[in-house]
Amino acid sequence: MNDYAHRTLPRRGGLLRRMWKARNAYLFLLPALLLLSAIKYYPFLTAFVESLFDWNGVNVNRFIGFANYAELLKDEKIRVAFENAFKVSLATVLINLTAPLLAALLVFRVRSPRLQNVLKVGFIVPLVVPMMVLILLWRWMYAGDTGLINQALDAVGLESLKHSWLGDSSTALGAIVFVGFPWVAGLPFLLYLAGLQNISEDLFEVASMEGATPLRRMIAVELPLLSGQIRLVLIYSLIQSFQVFEAPYAMTNGGPGISTITPSLHIYDQAFNYGRFGYASSIGVVLFAVLLVLTIALQKLIRNSDKID
Amino acid sequence: MKKSNPWTVVFVLALFAVAMYPFFVLLASSFKHQMQIYESPWFFSSPLYPSNYGVAFRQISQPIVHSLAVTAIGVAATLIASATAAFSFARYSFPFKNALYGVIIMLLMIPGFVILVPQFISVKNMGMYNTLLGQALPPAASYTAMGVMLMRAFFEGLSRSLYEAAEMEGARDFSVFARIVLPLSKPIVATVAIMSGLQIWNNFVWSLVVTTGDKVKPVILAIMTVQGGINEGDGVKLAGYVIASLPLLILFFAATKPFVSGLTQGAVKG
Repeated sequence: MNDYAHRTLPRRGGLLRRMWKARNAYLFLLPALLLLSAIKYYPFLTAFVESLFDWNGVNVNRFIGFANYAELLKDEKIRVAFENAFKVSLATVLINLTAPLLAALLVFRVRSPRLQNVLKVGFIVPLVVPMMVLILLWRWMYAGDTGLINQALDAVGLESLKHSWLGDSSTALGAIVFVGFPWVAGLPFLLYLAGLQNISEDLFEVASMEGATPLRRMIAVELPLLSGQIRLVLIYSLIQSFQVFEAPYAMTNGGPGISTITPSLHIYDQAFNYGRFGYASSIGVVLFAVLLVLTIALQKLIRNSDKID
Repeated sequence: MKKSNPWTVVFVLALFAVAMYPFFVLLASSFKHQMQIYESPWFFSSPLYPSNYGVAFRQISQPIVHSLAVTAIGVAATLIASATAAFSFARYSFPFKNALYGVIIMLLMIPGFVILVPQFISVKNMGMYNTLLGQALPPAASYTAMGVMLMRAFFEGLSRSLYEAAEMEGARDFSVFARIVLPLSKPIVATVAIMSGLQIWNNFVWSLVVTTGDKVKPVILAIMTVQGGINEGDGVKLAGYVIASLPLLILFFAATKPFVSGLTQGAVKG
């Protein structure tokens, strides 16, 4: 820490006096604290309170205790929504731990600096395209008989597999996860590549002097030194994909039936289509609790596996 | 050691081609009329219809203006709130410093959907429903936590003698901040600006709930309803998707370096 900063912290004097002396420091904090407390923390605290009310956001506002939570336990949509969230995030986590890692390892092995640079930028560009554009593009590719994916199946003689991918409840969720195939061009790729570029050149030289095969080099050098990035991707993708909203909203709106509903979609639907703000808040509270438990469990798991190494 | 394994190159190029192909089809089909999309879906086909872009642009030009305004307001708010708070933490010691820092950083642990509903109520009660400000401030608040963290680290890395020299000259706290610290911090300012700008431009859910009708509709919502006539068909829709992506793509190629660092830093936010 800046020891020069201690100028504003006299050793003597009461708390109030010290606070008064540092008033400029608090003034500088004011914009951030005002913004965060008005728009984030106050709503966060009221989320718990609101979940105890039967509330339509306008005139009806009646305290009902834990009735929302009781209803939630019996809500078939909740069960399906959380199941879907588990499935989607499990798939996303597995995908993000493999496909982009493979791509980053490969790009890192390309020796020509020019080709490597082109590939690097090329794999990053899709990240800049809005998520919604990617989703709408895939919705268009899935659509109908003449959609690109069904046409591709036609072209390679697999007409029998042609399918209304988003319209069939047995394939809709899978089709949503499949968006972005082969899933290499994304944030995880960027993180893995940045990690690889931070590894000291010396380590690779030692590895090659000892005659390590490329596979051995990957297992012994690259993967262990990427463990920080892998951890970050793991937790980041879990939290992000568990809240998946845009793709089911734009591609299936939770259907057919309720086969692709997710907790986020259910919250949105209950609040903004049915005006059930209290009930929607209670789903939010449950979502928070589940994510908190998952994150803590995952971090514990990672820490334990570190000890084994 | 200097030559790549040819199989590596072949494989990585194949992967690249598969990953890029949907974007290529998007671009190619955005120049087509509906019949061409049916008949030759895989590649560009003549004649090209750049007029699709005109039709799409007329439908989303107003939303693009809204999105530009929302993004500008949001980035400005993020930068002001982050830089001032980060300066305070980097330069002063004061009671409750760590607690206050903790309060700001804790925001990173609150998932967006958990507070979607109460945040909507708060913003509505503040009279910001269906306004540019109402769309811009909540995402700006979200990225402020990350912004404070990144900028504090950067400010603490600035040379201490700078502050001392300024102090000798009798510079006031605010002018130290505005005249010395900020001009030396362009890289981190760019990183935070891009990180927040990218997310605010692409923010879908919040704009979906806090706007209605066309008054302040952002482009990310508008592209869902872009439509072409019978002949033009889907080509117009796809042209709209391309247009909505262009501003960020142009910015990316103009400033690749701060962009990449903005993207990487933003990832840490869960």
